[in-house]
Amino acid sequence: MTEQSVTVAGSPVGGEIVTGAAPQDGTPDSRVSVKPKNNRAWLLVLPVVVSVAFTAVIPLMTVVNFSVQDIFSPDDRIFVGLEWFRSVARDPEIRAAFVRTLLFSAQVLLLEIPLGVALAVAMPRRGVWVSVALVIVALPLLIPWNVVGTIWQIFARADIGLGGWTINNVLGIDFNYTLDSTDAWITVLIMDIWHWTPLVALLAYAGLRSIPDPYFQAAQIDGASAWSTFRHIQLPRLRGVLTIAILLRFMDSFMIYTEPFVVTGGGPGNATSFLSILLSKVAVGQFDLGPAGAFSLLYFLVVQIVSYVFFTVLTRSGR
Amino acid sequence: MQWMVWTLPTALVFVGLALLLCGMAIWGHFSPPVARRGFLRIETDRGDRLYIGLISAAVVLAGWIAVTDLSMWLALACALLVTIVIGIWG
Repeated sequence: MTEQSVTVAGSPVGGEIVTGAAPQDGTPDSRVSVKPKNNRAWLLVLPVVVSVAFTAVIPLMTVVNFSVQDIFSPDDRIFVGLEWFRSVARDPEIRAAFVRTLLFSAQVLLLEIPLGVALAVAMPRRGVWVSVALVIVALPLLIPWNVVGTIWQIFARADIGLGGWTINNVLGIDFNYTLDSTDAWITVLIMDIWHWTPLVALLAYAGLRSIPDPYFQAAQIDGASAWSTFRHIQLPRLRGVLTIAILLRFMDSFMIYTEPFVVTGGGPGNATSFLSILLSKVAVGQFDLGPAGAFSLLYFLVVQIVSYVFFTVLTRSGR
Repeated sequence: MQWMVWTLPTALVFVGLALLLCGMAIWGHFSPPVARRGFLRIETDRGDRLYIGLISAAVVLAGWIAVTDLSMWLALACALLVTIVIGIWG
């Protein structure tokens, strides 16, 4: 057999893509290898690279520049090295807010993911009720964040809010989120569950709908219980969508700002002062760009690590 | 570019990162990366290990500055060591 190259004209990537020894007698030859000869596909990625550079990379570089300087104006600034990082990393208020935010994110994930999956399993699979259920479940997602905060600020009030009034006067439990830190925490947590469980439910529902019917028919023939069907058929096939749901809910809850800001303003005391609320105070309230830059970068580092760990564990555990 | 308030040290860091990424891209072009398992117990190629190494280095630096007043040059040495160890054996 003679060594020669085969040119495939009109291939999507163009040019010569197959090299090696071509079979002469029509039999398959294991020595034939496919090797792309150009990188034209990279051009298609260029728009994304440019937009990410303008919206994320350049602003991030600017924040890094802020974090090592004491800036009074663009012309009047002093290089301070890592001093802002030192003060931010050792600030007890920021450390407390970090623990508080992590705790909040953990509670959000522990409650919203199972609830969302349960809701998705309970939703009808076919018939007219599918549309009705989807619209009702999606409703909280359509409400702007500050409006969600306002709704819950009024709803949870002990004097004029239906929820707060019911807890106090019907259930007989002393509940006041403006005075009691536990009540404030519970209000913010339930508000987040109300607002974002639908996202998990919709993602899980999409995942469940993609499971072919023969899986369920086979389970039925084998006499599998509802729990076994869920555990061995539905749950494993939800891995992809749950990865996305967990990542989205972690990042969103770890950066939560608008709703607690509207409902509690971070109070009472510091009970619901999450990292983002504290950061906005430093960056926008006091306009301390240096400490705010250092704070943002440490915040960004934590989000990077946790997201990467979640992503790796959830996508590679099956390999 | 004045609004980006550049300083020499941050510019050097970003130039270093850009050169590192370009170097990895060129290396990857001539010698495509191969995924394998190291002490991290997950399948990684050299790009994954570089990312994990850089993040780990940032954690070392952040942790160092949060707990001790010892020289940051020492922290940088530890961070580089961590990155190299992860890059080779991770």
